[in-house]
Parts: sequence; structure tokens; C-alpha cells
Amino acid sequence: MKEYLKLNNEVLNKYSSTGTIDLQKDKEATRKYFLENVNVRMRYFIDLEEKISYLMEEGYYEEEFLKMYSMKFIKKLFKYAYDYHFRFPSFMSASKFYEGYAMKSRDGKEILEKYEDRIIIIALYLAQGDEQLAEKAVHHMMESYQPATPTALNSGKKARGELVSCFKLAMDDTMNSIAENIGYCLELSRLGGGVGTLLTDLRPLGDPIKGILNRASGVMPVTKLLENAFSYSNQLGQRNGSGVVYLNIFHGDIEEFISSKKPNADEKIRLATLSTGVIIPDIFFELMKKDKDIVLFSPYDIYKEYGKRMSEISITEMYYELLDNPNIRKLKRLNARKLYTEIKKTQFESGYPFEIFDDNVNRVHPLKGLGRVKMSNLCTEILQVQTTSIITDMDKPNEYGLDVSCNLGSLDIHHATETNNFEELVDTAMRLLTNVSQMTDIVNVPSVAKANKLMHSVGLGTMNLHGHLVTENILYGSDESIEFVDFFMEALNYYSLKASMLIAKEKGETFYGFDKSEYANGQYFEHYIHKQEKMPTEKVQKALGNVPIITADMWKKLKKNVMKYGVFNAYRLAVAPTGSISYIRSCTASIAPCTERVEIRDYADSRTIYPMPYLNNENQHLYVEAYDVDSYRMIDLYATAQKHVDQGISMTLYVTDQWTTERLAKLYIYAWMRGIKSIYYVRQRLQTLEECVSCSI
Amino acid sequence: MFNIGPFEAVNWNKPTSDLAKTFWDQQWKQMWFPEEIAVSKDLKQWKDFEFRDTYTKVFGGLTLLDTLQTNIGMNEIARYHEDLQEKAVLTVFDAFEAIHAKSYSYIFTTLCNNDEIDEIFAWVKKNEFLQYKAKKIADIYSSIQENDPESLWKAMFASVMLESFLFYSGFFYPLYLGGQGILRNSAEVISLILRDESIHGVATGYFAQNLFKKFSKEKQDELKVWGYELLLDLYENEMKYTDDIYAETGLSPEVKAYVRYNGNKALMNLGLDTMFPEEEINPIVMNGIRNEGSTYDFFSQKGSTYAIAKVEPISDETFNFDFLKK
Repeated sequence: MKEYLKLNNEVLNKYSSTGTIDLQKDKEATRKYFLENVNVRMRYFIDLEEKISYLMEEGYYEEEFLKMYSMKFIKKLFKYAYDYHFRFPSFMSASKFYEGYAMKSRDGKEILEKYEDRIIIIALYLAQGDEQLAEKAVHHMMESYQPATPTALNSGKKARGELVSCFKLAMDDTMNSIAENIGYCLELSRLGGGVGTLLTDLRPLGDPIKGILNRASGVMPVTKLLENAFSYSNQLGQRNGSGVVYLNIFHGDIEEFISSKKPNADEKIRLATLSTGVIIPDIFFELMKKDKDIVLFSPYDIYKEYGKRMSEISITEMYYELLDNPNIRKLKRLNARKLYTEIKKTQFESGYPFEIFDDNVNRVHPLKGLGRVKMSNLCTEILQVQTTSIITDMDKPNEYGLDVSCNLGSLDIHHATETNNFEELVDTAMRLLTNVSQMTDIVNVPSVAKANKLMHSVGLGTMNLHGHLVTENILYGSDESIEFVDFFMEALNYYSLKASMLIAKEKGETFYGFDKSEYANGQYFEHYIHKQEKMPTEKVQKALGNVPIITADMWKKLKKNVMKYGVFNAYRLAVAPTGSISYIRSCTASIAPCTERVEIRDYADSRTIYPMPYLNNENQHLYVEAYDVDSYRMIDLYATAQKHVDQGISMTLYVTDQWTTERLAKLYIYAWMRGIKSIYYVRQRLQTLEECVSCSI
Repeated sequence: MFNIGPFEAVNWNKPTSDLAKTFWDQQWKQMWFPEEIAVSKDLKQWKDFEFRDTYTKVFGGLTLLDTLQTNIGMNEIARYHEDLQEKAVLTVFDAFEAIHAKSYSYIFTTLCNNDEIDEIFAWVKKNEFLQYKAKKIADIYSSIQENDPESLWKAMFASVMLESFLFYSGFFYPLYLGGQGILRNSAEVISLILRDESIHGVATGYFAQNLFKKFSKEKQDELKVWGYELLLDLYENEMKYTDDIYAETGLSPEVKAYVRYNGNKALMNLGLDTMFPEEEINPIVMNGIRNEGSTYDFFSQKGSTYAIAKVEPISDETFNFDFLKK
């Protein structure tokens, strides 16, 4: 048995009896792991030059980007990185890095890269010959910036996957489009991507085809095709492909769509591996409040009558018009409360569907002049405008619209507050992300490639909020925590917009359609310019560290520059759920509360015990676990962050099996009222027998 | 016990047992089927696994115990138990025992070929230690008499011994391996079985305690002596059984410590004093049992922590958030 696994597991030896955690064991486990598993497998090189030339000649590294720099500079950069004296803070971070991210020999036996090496290669690769940017990139990645997994993993490698891994596609109501998009899904899944597909515009079951009624098969058979496509295209069997499908709640097939995730659903419609999401406009909540029925529509009728796809209109604005129009069939009436209860029931049992609050998204969408945001992605943080491609017959050219590829990165909040130059940190992150978007070209999906070229969208997010709050003696969900989030996220928003403006100024180029955006007409800045200035409380000021407080005057100045020079990235911010990358950095995930003070995490290779960052036997009480955090306060915190994020924030809700569907519905309704844009999974903790016996006695 | 009449209907609206409903709810919430776990993912490792013989014997032994528990144990106890709600709970437990017994076969079918499977089942029939414990427990089960709470208590005691004590010499191995990433999916099946067995042990132990309270002090002392003697007898046999099947692996001492640890737990379930000294248990095995709410992998196919929803209609009150105003 591997000694380091035993040591790592011993962290919890006394946890259940005395509640104390033996952190020394984790340190010993990390040390043992290096002695037994890393050091012996690390390939030895005489010096850096030998190492670089070996890895180039053997075809491990791409040559092109390394040739952009002098050996002198590369040496300097290595010295700079190694001078940080980086040490892995936990066994989890060390094992996760060496098992998953470090470059290994082709037979998997030798390790060819250390942590610092990977960071340097990412920096050199993404900076594309810009020495200054490369140096800043190393500096900030050693401290607090972390590119998303596909970028961190693939940068600089000769045999590599894509730098981005998340996509959104809009399907049109034609056989050509269905076939084309299934092909895209195969292609993107092959590249390791997670793909979201919009189904709102497909005609429902029993709709006419060529004018003959009761011919269409509806949405569900398409979901089955997609599910099969994803499980077929599975990256050499390494990981099952993943996809999500979105449907508007007023669509005729909504009931089957919701039922499809029930564990006991009919096999013909049951979706075992495909994720689902529902788009919910305000009018649904209004009707539900009044205990009214809702009416389901067909996108086929809507297109015929108004020349617009169902996803292209606001159902909230058009609802009564649709009801009154005799040419629009009323497919079915359903009691809104009953339907929503059904959704809550499915969420308890399967975690699905995700929910996107349509009007909360589109009301504050800075690019509303360009079109609507119709759907989200697999983690519900990407919210960007799309226009549907017209896929024609083979003998005519297609008219490609705009779909989405997202390219993400995250700041470790704790270290970001300690950096000496927060503005430079955000600026560097934005430039690295922008370069990723410019280096990406998904040729086999033209709508994605086209949008990427035109929009340069990125998604900078954050992680380690809970970890940072613990170090500052602030409880997650407290007034202070929310105040901290407000100041921090405003600064992130401000500096990311400033960076994007500077890039536009330098390049003399903006994203496509900038002139129609709320940045161009200044509308975006209104509430910041007229905000009531406030200073943080002492505790929050301390927690903010070196993060500047943004004043209305600063916003005023930025507005002027943005209106003058434009903005380079159509979208800038998105807060991802951050799985693996937060483990590597020993961060808590995203802006979420921790789910367990000490996580017991089962991976393919072993069971790993992961104490939350900075956890010790004195501050345990600050690590309130997600299931014990007041859910309403958690939503308040997310709603506060959301004000400063142009896209979305991936938010999981945590409930116990004591909750009823009504209580869950209430929480969702609250989230909608607070302007939350999307809700990801519902996770449920089953009580243990001890807990339920003790609470009933 | 066998009513000639009038027949009484079980009335769940009027609780007759403190915890019957709690046990009932918890057991159903944990509903699972072996087919939900992709044991076939273990195949690749299985081909190169060194101690296949020990592994299959461990599972063969567990199959026998669960078969016994399905066909005789829970059945007989439920049959003679008086409280109708608790009787219902025991019947549900019985159904789960049947799922457990079947799930070992599911693992066998996935990993072994037919000859190998036949061999294991033949081994089960002729292994003296395994047969010894099966017979010992089965005899107690079959001696329950009508209107004889003493024999019923003994059967419950034996049942707790089986579920909280004797299973664990077998559970050890898959937990030990699974925690190190070896044959993890089979270990997942075991951890689901273990989750059920721990309710069964607690519930049956609790029902037994209620019965026990009704005996005279003298009777209680007599039964205790009987109980500890049975435990010791089973313990000695279990030590030999452990040596027998774990001989190749060098794990015997660790398995034995784990068996003693669970012997104490079984006694606690029955409300009796523990008898083995505390000792250190392999941490990987311990953490294997604790994985109740282990962190959900968003890309995994099935989260084991999702359960049946409690439905309550949305009302006007759902839209009232006055309670949030401080």
C-alpha cells in the first residue's frame, strides 16, 4: 500500500471522535509523495538549455513560440519563477498537478515538468513573443492568476488539445440545421469540449411538417441523438463527452423535457448523461404568483406569424399578444405552480434541470442592441448573444451566424488582495485571455470560429472566496462578506473593462457591433457614475488588501475613454465553478461556500482527503459548510457579485433531504427576484442515520 | 401471533413505534440498484490483479451471509415481531438484503467467467468456517417460537451480529483496495451495501433493546451471558476465517482489528457494553465508510446523494418573503 495515501487518509483519524484534524499528516503525505512518486520519476537535465532543447527535439514542446524568445530571456524567466520558492500547500494540490497537468513522457513513466516549468511555458506560449507580457504572466500566475484547465494543460505542447473547451450552439428548425449541429457536437466533443445546444426553436411533437399536421417528432428525439453523439465522441475513451440542452419553459415539449431526467422515466425519453436546462422568462413567475395557467406555444407558429424564432422574442413582452393572436395555437394549458413543483421534484431527484432567468439576463445585457442571450453553457456562467446560422442545402452556401466558444481564467481572491498591483494583475489576465481567443480557430465549426474572430469574448472569474474570508475572520454570508464581494467585484469589473479598452486602443479595433452596445452609448456606466459613494468598514478594508476602491469619478473617466476608443472584448467576466484548477491551487471553489471542511474526494486513481485551505483546529467554525449556510444569504452574496459581472456566475444550491419542493421553489423565486441570472445544480445532502435518529429522539 | 381474527391493519397515522418511520424513510431514500454502478470499469485492473482468489472468496462469503439474511433472518424476525410498523420496516430491510445478495452476483458476472463462478460457489459450500457461522446464526433464527420474546430477542441479537460484525471481515478488502484506486467500482457497490447494513444493525439493535427492557433483571443477565458467549464463539471462528482467506495478502492483523472494532459497534447497537479494547484501524478503510456525502463529481453519471423528493404544493405563502425583513 502506498504510504502517502495512508498518511493522507490519517488526516481524519480523530475527526469523527474529537473533531480535530491532523494537518501534519497531510504535510507528511505530500513529502512522501514527492519522495516515492515524483522525485524518482523526474527526468534529470544538466541545465535549462539541455532541457528545453530536449523537449523541443523530442517533439514535446512546439518550437515556434520558443523561437520567439532569446535563450537569455528564457533563462531569466526560469530564475524569476523559481525564486518564488513555490511549495504545494496540500497533498491534493501536488497529486492533482502531477497526475493531471505536468508533462510526462509518452509512456507516462517520466515526469518532464515541475509546477514552475508549466507556468513558464504557459506564459511564453500565450505571450507570443512579448517579453514584457511573458514576465508579467509568470509573476501573476505564480501569485494568483490561473488559466482554465484546457489552457493550463495544453499550452506549448506539440501534441495538444484545444485551449478552450466550452461551446454554445443554436439549432434552427430545419433538418439541415439539426444534422449540421449534431456534426458540430461530434466535432467539439472530440476536442474535449462541453457543448450547450439550444432547442427552443425546434417545432414540438405533433406539429405540422410541410403543412401536414401531426408529423413532427418534437424535441426529445433530437436530445437522444445528441446524447448518443456525445457518448460516441469521448476523447479516446478517456472521458464521456458532455453536453447540455436548453428549452424555453413555454415550449410545447416542456413536460417531456423536464421528465427526461427523472431516474424512473421511460427509457425512450430518459436522458442518462445529457444535462438539461430550462429558460424561464419573468412572465412565468408572474403567472405562477397569480396562480394562473400558462399556455405552451409552438416556435413553428411564431416564426410563421412574426418571422422571428421563439428564442428571438421576449416571451414576457409578447405573451398576451401571442394569446390573443388566433394564428398562434395554444398547444396546452398547464398550471404554473404545478409545473414548477414538477421541476423542483426532478431537481431533488436528479439535480436537473438548470434554470436561466431570461429577463434577468437580457435586462442588463450590455449588448442588447445586437440581439438576445438565448441560452447558457454546461456550467451556466456563459451568457452571450447568438444569432442562428442558416444551414442550406448542400448546393448552396450556408449563412453562418454567431455561436460561442468560451475561454476562461480565474483569480485566486486571497492572493489577488495581496498582489502589489491589482490593476496590472487584471490587465495581464485580460491580455492572456485575449491572446487565447486570438490563437483559437475552431475551423470545423464555422459559426464558433466566426464569433470568436469578431467578438474576442473571454470570461475572467474568481475563486477562493470562502478561503479568503476565513483568513480574514469573516463568516460566509455575513454582511461583511457581502460588502467585500461588492467592492472586490466592482474593482474586477472596472479594471477588466479598462484593460479591454486599452487593448482596443492599442489595436485600433473593437469587437463587432460595439457601436450598438451600451458601452458605446454610455448607458452601461450610468448606475456606476450615479452611485452613492461609500467606504468599506474597517474589517472589509483590511480584507480588500491592495484592491483599490473604485470611485464614481474613476468610472466617469473610464466611460469617456471607452466611448472614445471602444472595447476589444464583447464579454469579459464569468465566474466558473472551478473544479480541478482550484484543487491545484488549494483554493475553495469559485465564490461558493465549501461543501465539506475536509473533502473526501474519490478520483479514478485513489481517495484523497482534502482539508480546505488555511483550515486549522482554531478556525474550523469559520468554515461553515454550504448545507449549513443560510441559503438566502448565499443568494444575496451571489446577487451582489452578479451586479458587476457582464455574463453569469455558476451557482449551485445546497439543500438537505429535509427540504420540500415548496421550500426549494421559494428559494428559486427569491433568486429570480434578486436578479440572479442562472442556477446550476441543486445538490442535496442525505442525512446520515446518526443525524436523523438524533433529531427524532 | 397468527391471528385467527380479527385481523389488524397497519395504521401509519398512529405511531406505535418511536423510530419505525425514521428507519423506513431513511432506507427508501437510500434506494439503489447494483446495475447503476459501472463495475465493468474495473475489468482492466482485474485482469492484472494479484489476489483474485482472496477477492472472490471474500465476495463468496458475503453472498452466503446475505442469502441467509434474506431467506431466513429478516423474514423470520419480521414474521414474529409484533409491532406492525416495525414489522413493515423489517420487511423492507429484507428486500434490500435480496438486492445485496444479487449485487455480488452482478460483480461476479462482470469480473469472472462461469467456471470461476461455479468454483466460488462450490468453495462456499465446503469452507468450514463460513459454514460454521452460517449454521450458528441460522439455527438461532429457526428456533424462534411463537409468543416467546426471548427467542425473538436472541434472533435479533444474532441478526445484529451478522450485519454489524460478521460482514466486516469481508467488507474490509474492497474498502481497503477501493481507497487506493483499485477495483473502485466494486468497492462502490460495497459502500452502498454498508450504508444499508448500518441502518439494519442500528434498527434491529434498537428494536431488540426495546424488547430487552421488558425482561426481568434475572432474565436480562442470563441473556447477556448467552449473548457474550455467542459473540466470543463467533469471534474465534472469525479469526480463523480471516487467517484462512487473507493468508496470501498479509492483511490478516489489520482485518482482525477491524472485525473487533465492528464487534464493539454491534454491541453498542444492542445497548450492551463493548468488550474489545480500542485500537487503530487502517485510515483508508475508515474513510471508506465515511464517504456518505463525499464530494459530488459534476461529470459523473450518477450522484449517489440524490433521493426522492418530498412534494408540497406552491401556495400564495411561497411568494411571501416578509420573514427576511429584519
